[in-house]
Amino acid sequence: MRTTFQEDLNLLESTLHEEGALVLRALRGALNALEQRDHELADEVIAFDDDVDQRYISIEEGVQTLLARQTPVASDLRLVLAILHVNLHLERMADYCVTIAKLSKLVPDVEPSPRFIEGFEEMGSRCEEMIRIALDSFANRDLEAAESLVTLDELIDRANRRVVERILELGEAQAMREYGLRMVLVSRSLERIGDHAVDIGEQVAYLLTAEFREFTDATHPTSRGS
Amino acid sequence: MMTDDVTIPVDVAPVEIAQERRTPSPTQRKVVFDIRDLAVTYGPTTAISGVDLEIYGNLITAFIGPSGCGKSTFIRSLNRMNDLVPGAKVDGQVLYHGQDIYGDGVDPVEVRRRVGMVFQRANPFPKSIYDNVAWGPRVLGMKKNLDERVEKALTRAALWDEVKDRLKKSALSLSGGQQQRLCIARAIAIEPEVLLLDEPASALDPIATAAIEELMHDLKDQYTIVIVTHNMQQAARVADMTAFFSLQVEEGKRTGILVEYENTDKLFTNPADKRTEDYVTGRFG
Repeated sequence: MRTTFQEDLNLLESTLHEEGALVLRALRGALNALEQRDHELADEVIAFDDDVDQRYISIEEGVQTLLARQTPVASDLRLVLAILHVNLHLERMADYCVTIAKLSKLVPDVEPSPRFIEGFEEMGSRCEEMIRIALDSFANRDLEAAESLVTLDELIDRANRRVVERILELGEAQAMREYGLRMVLVSRSLERIGDHAVDIGEQVAYLLTAEFREFTDATHPTSRGS
Repeated sequence: MMTDDVTIPVDVAPVEIAQERRTPSPTQRKVVFDIRDLAVTYGPTTAISGVDLEIYGNLITAFIGPSGCGKSTFIRSLNRMNDLVPGAKVDGQVLYHGQDIYGDGVDPVEVRRRVGMVFQRANPFPKSIYDNVAWGPRVLGMKKNLDERVEKALTRAALWDEVKDRLKKSALSLSGGQQQRLCIARAIAIEPEVLLLDEPASALDPIATAAIEELMHDLKDQYTIVIVTHNMQQAARVADMTAFFSLQVEEGKRTGILVEYENTDKLFTNPADKRTEDYVTGRFG
C-alpha cells in the first residue's frame, strides 16, 4: 500500500546517497589539489559544489512536500527527519571541501616537509572512510557501524593535533607563518568533516532506536529521548 | 599527476540527478475541460458561480472544500448529471476538447459515455459481478469480445484476481471496497476518457481507501481523473492539481466559489489565498 509514498521516500534516500558520492569526490579532489598544488583541480572542486547544492535543495523540497502531503508517521517520520539532517551534514562537508580547495590556491610557494602532506593524506583518508561508513550504516540500517564512527573520529582528532604540532615547528619566516596559518584551517576543515560523519551516525541511531542522543556528549550521558 | 587531465578521480559510480515526481509544467499540460464562468442554480438557490478553470489530461485533479460549497455540483456539471435534478440550471460554458457539452444538439448520453462517474456509495446493480461490468458495453452495442472487455476492466480496477473465480456470483456479495472497485470497473468498461469520482472512499475503511488511492494512481496514465473529497489529506496524497472551493456569504445568500486552483505541492505548502491557508491548516471549515 502507499507505493507512491514509498517511491518518493526511496527517491529521497537515493538522492541523499548521490549527494554523499559527490562529497567523496569533492574531498578526494580537494586533497589532490592540495597535495599536487593543482589550481585547476581546485577550481573544479569549487565549481562542482553546485552539483551538491542541487541535491541538497531537491532533498529539502522533497522533504517539505512529503511532510505536507503524506503525513509520515513512526519509522517513516524518523526516516524523513533523518534524511533532512543528513542532507545538511553532507552539504556542510562539501562546503569544507570547497574551503580546502580555496586554501590550496592561497598557499605561498614554500616547500615544507613532506610529513605535512602525509599528515593531511592520513586525515583525508580517514575522513573518506568515515563518510563511507556513515553512508553505508544509513543504507544498511547498521547501528554498530554507525557507533563505530566515534572511534574513527578520535583518530582524526589525534592526527589534527599532530598537524598542529608540526605547524608550530615551521619557524618564523613570513611565508612559513602564512603557510602554517592556512594549513591550520585545512586541518580544522578535515577535522570538522569527521565530526559531521559522526553526526550522520547519530541520525542512523535515531532512525533505528527513536532516541535522540549524541554519541560523545560527556556532559549529558543519558539520552534525551523518552 | 593531474596536469593534462583535470578530471577529478571518482571511485564511485557516475551519478544522475534523480528526477522528482512533479506535476507537469503548464506548457506540458493537455486541456481536457475548459470551464468558463460556470454557474449552477437550483431554483432560487445559486450553488456555484463564477467558476473558471481548466482540467488537464492524464492528471488527477481534486476538489476540496467545506460541506455545501458546491464541489459535487461542480463535478456533476462535467457530465450533465445535474440535468437529472429538477429546477437545475447551468450558465456559462463547459468546453470538452473545445466543444460546449451544454451546446445545442449535444447528446447527454454521449457526454456520459466519455465522462464516466463513480459515486460516494458503491451502487452495484443487484446482478452478477460479470453483468455489472458488461452492462454498459451491452447497452452501447459494444458486444464484441465482451468477456475480454470485462476481464480488462476488472484487471484495470485491480479487482480481477479477487473475483475471477466467482464472476457469476452476485455483486452484492462483495465487500464495500470491492463494490467500489467494481463500480470503477463498470465505469471504465465503456472506455471513457474522464473518470469523475465523487467522494469514492468516504464510506470505506483505511485499507480499502488506500486500495482506491493506489488504483487512481495506476489509472491516470490512461484516464483523466477528477475527484471530489472531504478528506483533505486524500487530495494531498493523490492529486496532481487541487482546487479549493469555499462559500461566499453575501446578503444572507451562500454561494460556492472557486478560491484557489494550483498544483497540489504548492497548494499544500504555500497557498496564495489566506482562505486556502486557513482551510488546509484546519483553522476554518
